[in-house]
Amino acid sequence: MPTVTIDDRTVEVAAGTNLIDAGLLVGVQIPHYCYHPRLTVVGQCRMCLVEIWDNGRKMPKPQAACSSAVTKEGWVVRTDTPEVHEAQRGMMEFFLINHPLDCPICDQAGECALQDYAFKHGVAFSRFRFEDKRTYPGRERIPLGSNVLLNMNRCIQCTRCVRFTHEVAKTGELGFFNRGARVEIGTFPGKPLENHLSTCVVDICPVGALTSTRFRFAERVFYLDKKPSLCTGCEVGCNITVEHRRGKIKRYKPRFNPEVNDYWMCDYGRTTFERYAQMPRLQVPRNGGVTSGTIGWKEALDQAARKLRSRSAEGAVAFLGSPFLTVEEAWLFAKLADAAGSPHRSVPVDRGPTWTIPNLKGGITGIEAAPNRRGAELAGLTPGTPAGESASADVLDHDALLAGDGAAQCSVLVVCDSDFGRAAWSPETVERLRRARFLVVFGWADSPLAKVADLAFPVPTHTEKEGTFVNVEHRLQRFAAAYPPPGQDRPLVDVLVDLLSRFDASWAQLPSPKTAAVFDKLAAEIPAFAGITWETIPATGTSLHMPEAKARLDTISAERVPERD
Amino acid sequence: MSETFEPVLTQNVGRPDALSLQGYRKTGGYEGLAKALKMEPAAVVEEVKKSGLRGRGGAGFPAGMKWSFIGKAKPRYLVCNADESEPGTFKDRLLMEVDPHQLLEGCAICCWAVEANTCYIYIRGEYTKAAAILERAIREANEAGVLGDNAMGSGFKLDMYVHRGAGAYICGEETGMLESLEGKRGQPRVKPPFPAVVGAFDKPTVVNNVETLCNVPHILTRGADWFKSIGTDERNTGPKLYAISGHVERPGTYEFPIGVPFRELLDKAGGMYRHGTLKAFIPGGASAPILPASQIDLKMDFDSVAKAGSMLGSAAVIVMDDTTCLVRSVARLAKFFNHESCGQCTPCREGTNWMELLLHRLEDGQGSEGDGKLLLSICGHIGGQSLCPLGDAAIGPVKSLVEGFWPEVEQHIRDKRCPFPHRRYFGNGAH
Amino acid sequence: MSVSEPQVTAAGLPPDARAELDRIRKRYPTNEAALLPALSIAQRVWGGWLPDEAIAAVAAELDLPASTVYGVVTFYDLFHQKPVGRHRIRVCTNLPCQLRGCEEIMETLHQELKVEEDEVTPDGRCSFIHFECLGSCDTAPMMMVGDDYHENLTPERTRQIVRGLK
Repeated sequence: MPTVTIDDRTVEVAAGTNLIDAGLLVGVQIPHYCYHPRLTVVGQCRMCLVEIWDNGRKMPKPQAACSSAVTKEGWVVRTDTPEVHEAQRGMMEFFLINHPLDCPICDQAGECALQDYAFKHGVAFSRFRFEDKRTYPGRERIPLGSNVLLNMNRCIQCTRCVRFTHEVAKTGELGFFNRGARVEIGTFPGKPLENHLSTCVVDICPVGALTSTRFRFAERVFYLDKKPSLCTGCEVGCNITVEHRRGKIKRYKPRFNPEVNDYWMCDYGRTTFERYAQMPRLQVPRNGGVTSGTIGWKEALDQAARKLRSRSAEGAVAFLGSPFLTVEEAWLFAKLADAAGSPHRSVPVDRGPTWTIPNLKGGITGIEAAPNRRGAELAGLTPGTPAGESASADVLDHDALLAGDGAAQCSVLVVCDSDFGRAAWSPETVERLRRARFLVVFGWADSPLAKVADLAFPVPTHTEKEGTFVNVEHRLQRFAAAYPPPGQDRPLVDVLVDLLSRFDASWAQLPSPKTAAVFDKLAAEIPAFAGITWETIPATGTSLHMPEAKARLDTISAERVPERD
Repeated sequence: MSETFEPVLTQNVGRPDALSLQGYRKTGGYEGLAKALKMEPAAVVEEVKKSGLRGRGGAGFPAGMKWSFIGKAKPRYLVCNADESEPGTFKDRLLMEVDPHQLLEGCAICCWAVEANTCYIYIRGEYTKAAAILERAIREANEAGVLGDNAMGSGFKLDMYVHRGAGAYICGEETGMLESLEGKRGQPRVKPPFPAVVGAFDKPTVVNNVETLCNVPHILTRGADWFKSIGTDERNTGPKLYAISGHVERPGTYEFPIGVPFRELLDKAGGMYRHGTLKAFIPGGASAPILPASQIDLKMDFDSVAKAGSMLGSAAVIVMDDTTCLVRSVARLAKFFNHESCGQCTPCREGTNWMELLLHRLEDGQGSEGDGKLLLSICGHIGGQSLCPLGDAAIGPVKSLVEGFWPEVEQHIRDKRCPFPHRRYFGNGAH
Repeated sequence: MSVSEPQVTAAGLPPDARAELDRIRKRYPTNEAALLPALSIAQRVWGGWLPDEAIAAVAAELDLPASTVYGVVTFYDLFHQKPVGRHRIRVCTNLPCQLRGCEEIMETLHQELKVEEDEVTPDGRCSFIHFECLGSCDTAPMMMVGDDYHENLTPERTRQIVRGLK
């Protein structure tokens, strides 16, 4: 492995590493626009010019760092010489002479590479005084597709977007047209930019030429609080950043995780936060339906415990799980089911569109429209006892409850999540589940089910809590709250521990923070989680111990859709 | 030296029968290829190296050395650069229209030397006549077994094709040409890797100019020593075609030993048009810095012209008399480079655009005092920093205007107009 | 590229054009390399220019994304995206021709054809544009009409040539 010295910092790199990546290894940021680690190197923008001494002999011209690969010993690179600074100033001047002064109305302001590099490497005045700026008349707000809008005047012709559609999305809608000063990006008439990753081009566009139609003018990015989380749109579990202003989410952006979603996420996933603001929110515990009054937490939990204890004599106690529950919450529900002596527990999941998120290992494909069916089932919400005994035919699973008459046999039916799936909002489902004698509903959404519940418990959305999900590849990923929940919402983990303590006082001894403690307990119990602790879950997640599942996944190609296991 | 010089490359000008294979063979055509096929490929490369032949397309890179760099992978390709779009250059067109077999023979010898079985002649789309002549010559050569599956009975398979461009000067840049050959936009590639290793279709490729390759049969038949005996010194050898145009009485292509003094070339072209006074000349195409009349005795070889601050390039000589506005001339060249820039890299795309705007403003008398410094600064930000040499080419004339002819520019600024009237060449449309 | 009336079929390239393309495809190791010749053929078939349907036809024929083919079409000066008349006139106005009166040739064309640069005459006969160096500087001023070079022009010769175009 050759070594290279960049600004007096020496590092050993894999042969073939380019200087931008090598620089990052030693904390040297070489400015660049067109380079992206997942796209072919084109060396077009010329912003990354550096000076290289090859074994003492200075290369006569500055070299583009992105296309200069370290293959041998003896390279000394400088990014801080007067020549490099002059090149950067000259390049910034070229970028800006035809660039519109749109900052006041441009979405990108605050996260714009042109702004950042102009400030850091450019000059504060313009010498382009009497000429007219080049414009693309009629191309100032062109929808390239349903999710992406183009303002060609702002484009710096880096071609990241074009290369993305051909090399990563492999749909090739975008092209580079014309020649010289009039080059532009665009689509062929009749073939708009429509693929499930289309909004990723907005992420990788260094300037405000490409904007998201959903986010356009929604918020100034410097007012956004950015917190890491996970997408709940499907079972791939893309890592995201929740960008919100005081609890109002304005957008999701993908967060880099080479093991899962790499740099990408799908367009559908980006919309999944919208329901949190659109659907009615449950904010106080309720007793006896929406027309009745509210009730205090203690009283509500006491009533729930009472109902759960008085069971089989009057009918079954069933738990309708949710693939949106975290592993911790699902495990606590399973414990509750144990306490109530109920084998009736299951997790329904909707089937969604089949999306493949590209990564360097062939990509991950998701077909289930929720993030944690596997985690919820591993945590114990499968028909039968937590010991894994197989279900008998009489178990009231989600098929019996949602498609059959199972609820009518229930003395108590606990719906673990008022937004467990599309069915949760249909009148037919409400009518069926209401046949249970006593209906308890936990959830963030004041869904039609919650409105008819005998007891309704308000809990946070996934962006307001911490927990873990298990994705389609049995990767365990941890996420944290982006902002606190509203109203009287209490974390569901806390609520369930509180409820369980009414069955077994030792639950009250559980130390805070409760989610971590719950996880460590369940990890000690469930073989697939053996050896994992809350504190030591890596940032990119970790594979569960499921050799059979892993071996099968290793042979699944990106094209084949994984079967439900 | 020039008096006793017999034309080599243009020996078949005025001999229409040389267009046919039979006619070409009458004066020793394809004997070079026959000889080469009996030599080791490496020996052919050595002979060309020894001759000192330097590329005739503009860069002047030693041809034999370029051939010796060819990578090991197979298949290999030869791409003949017949894109000839440098303003002032028309010599390759002459060679192709008048003596196509000379080019085919040169390509064939090169293919043998670098073990390439396929040669594409990338010819600019506008040269329809030359393309048709070449296609016919290739067909003839294939039918006669000179080319094809068993070139001259040697067992060597050699396929040659004409590939027509579609109108883009940048496709004359070797990697732009390769991209265009592969059916893409003619956008130059990042180097390294060099075409010798990763060229056409990812395979090792030699790219050589038409005139360069036309020298090769003669080097084989008459020897590297003979070739070296022509020219100025061992770094500037062989015959050279000079394409001279502009304000001369007899514009045309003239063959001389490389290094002919400009004065002699001008004389051969009939002297100044309508007895005008020489003001300035461009020695090597639009990218070459403009030289003043005082350089009239300059030896037109690679090194001498470089020492004088310009470049021989393709030896496209453009002569300008004292009715010429140099600002207007350079503005027109700036417009050319702006139009032909591929648009990939920032300094060339934005810089050539800016320079054209600035120079037109200067031409119209709307320039300001600081414009000279500004132009030089822009040139400094393009030169050495663009992705391909077009950026470096574009700044050549501009720099030479500001550094070598500033008083004329200053006059435009001061007078707030162009001091040179537009010259009428044809009266009021009489003839 | 000589021009004729468009011979378009809904299925894309007509059979003889496709046959010509198939012969040319054999010259190259990749499909994509046949794109420039394919576009030349298509432009001839579609009457001297490349409407969107021609581009889509070529893209389908060579199994390339339409955006890629469109990118190639718009890069090169000899591919046209709008009608150019039966005779496309290109007058070189680069420096060597500028030094020998090319502007007077442009003026002559403008007076004779009575259209602006790049505009097609009402009878669909021709259009003229200025062009970059055509490699005929020794016979300046000069112009290309279709595929043919007309050299050593004078205003009168230019008028004669234009009047002879059908």
